[in-house]
Amino acid sequence: MRFVDEFRDAELASALSREILSVVEPGRHYQVMEVCGGHTHSIYKYGVDDLLPENVELVHGPGCPVCVIPMGRVDDGIDLAHRDGVIFTCFGDMMRIPGSHGSLLDAKAQGADVRMVYSPLDALRIAQKNPEREVIFFAIGFETTAPSTALTLKRAKAERVENFFCMCNHVTIVPPLRALLDSPDLRLDGFVGPGHVSTVVGARPFEFIPADYGKPLVVAGFEPLDILQAIQMILRQLAEGRCEVENQYKRVVPYEGNRRALEVMAEVFELRPHFEWRGLGFISQSALKLSDAYADFDAELRWEVPGVRVADPKACQCGEVLKGVIKPWECKVFGTACTPERPIGTCMVSPEGACAAYYNFGRFAREREVV
Amino acid sequence: MTAQHEHCDPAHGCITCGDQALEMRVVAVDSARGLAVCVDDAGRAAEVDTLLVEPTAAGERVLVHARVAIAKVGAGVAA
Repeated sequence: MRFVDEFRDAELASALSREILSVVEPGRHYQVMEVCGGHTHSIYKYGVDDLLPENVELVHGPGCPVCVIPMGRVDDGIDLAHRDGVIFTCFGDMMRIPGSHGSLLDAKAQGADVRMVYSPLDALRIAQKNPEREVIFFAIGFETTAPSTALTLKRAKAERVENFFCMCNHVTIVPPLRALLDSPDLRLDGFVGPGHVSTVVGARPFEFIPADYGKPLVVAGFEPLDILQAIQMILRQLAEGRCEVENQYKRVVPYEGNRRALEVMAEVFELRPHFEWRGLGFISQSALKLSDAYADFDAELRWEVPGVRVADPKACQCGEVLKGVIKPWECKVFGTACTPERPIGTCMVSPEGACAAYYNFGRFAREREVV
Repeated sequence: MTAQHEHCDPAHGCITCGDQALEMRVVAVDSARGLAVCVDDAGRAAEVDTLLVEPTAAGERVLVHARVAIAKVGAGVAA
């Protein structure tokens, strides 16, 4: 299968592993952050970290869409789901994210009409089939998903669908990366850049990382050899004294991104002044809301939402995990009180969450032999 | 055409929530509506919005997220 088999080849993986070993300095400890939760999932699914020398540590970043949704936004969504006549729609994992008094799945069990959709377009179709009801789509995700919501809202406007609304929680990738880089307790040597977000935004928005912070970033695909090669490219840059943005995922990611996607997003959305991220706090201009031209579809204008800020449970250390400060197994409730079946924190819900990836692939502690 | 719903359920994880995308092959194009029928490598079909990657043609591989094609696969490498 083209673009799959060649990126899972064991001999090529061994060769890359040897190349990595040849470029690392003995005695130096390297920390490389994979920004995207999809990379975290692939790393543990395929055992990519087992092919790295002991002194190359992978740090897991904040790029898991459901993991960064704060509890207060979940509560707001649940509040809307209970309104009379409302059909509330969202993606699958979002239904299990805990709010302060349960999840959307719990709200459904209590009688709210909460429906899972695969795409925003599915939610629009539900609205068209139920003209006597008001349908809310709870939009989440980075720039990978935002174009889909934007296209759906354009269709809703063109088709004059008046009972379709969006509660927009889309976030953008660059501001949290800058916030992480400004964090004094994080020491990183480089980044594996998010592949799917980059299909939309391109690689150019990451140029501030080498320019302002002196750290390389390599945009990578999601097959095991993609990730291994990206790590090799980062380590080679460090060995050669270079520091730049490179694109390992050229078969999909144009350096300038998808111009049409960016245009449709610019038409439908505008930046929020600030937005709360789970574990990271409020970050300026890091999320999207509907533009004035699409205000008629904005659920937060149609209904009054509580908007109360809710603190994370004390036992939950998702914030430290999302910042890469601790490993998932270092959280005191990991694998005991917090499991994928009964998650306390968001990072245990989605398979792309770092905690769920560690739990599902049996990484309860770091025990690696020195290569 | 709801085969991709198999990838989105609370028990097994949601690929849309996970920021994942799925490579699919275009099998039929409705350029007037900006839509195409695409199949994944298991042969499952879905209706996909192709407005962001037009023009598309049968046989091309596209990267699909939330029922929208966000990129053409292999566009940046030699065939």
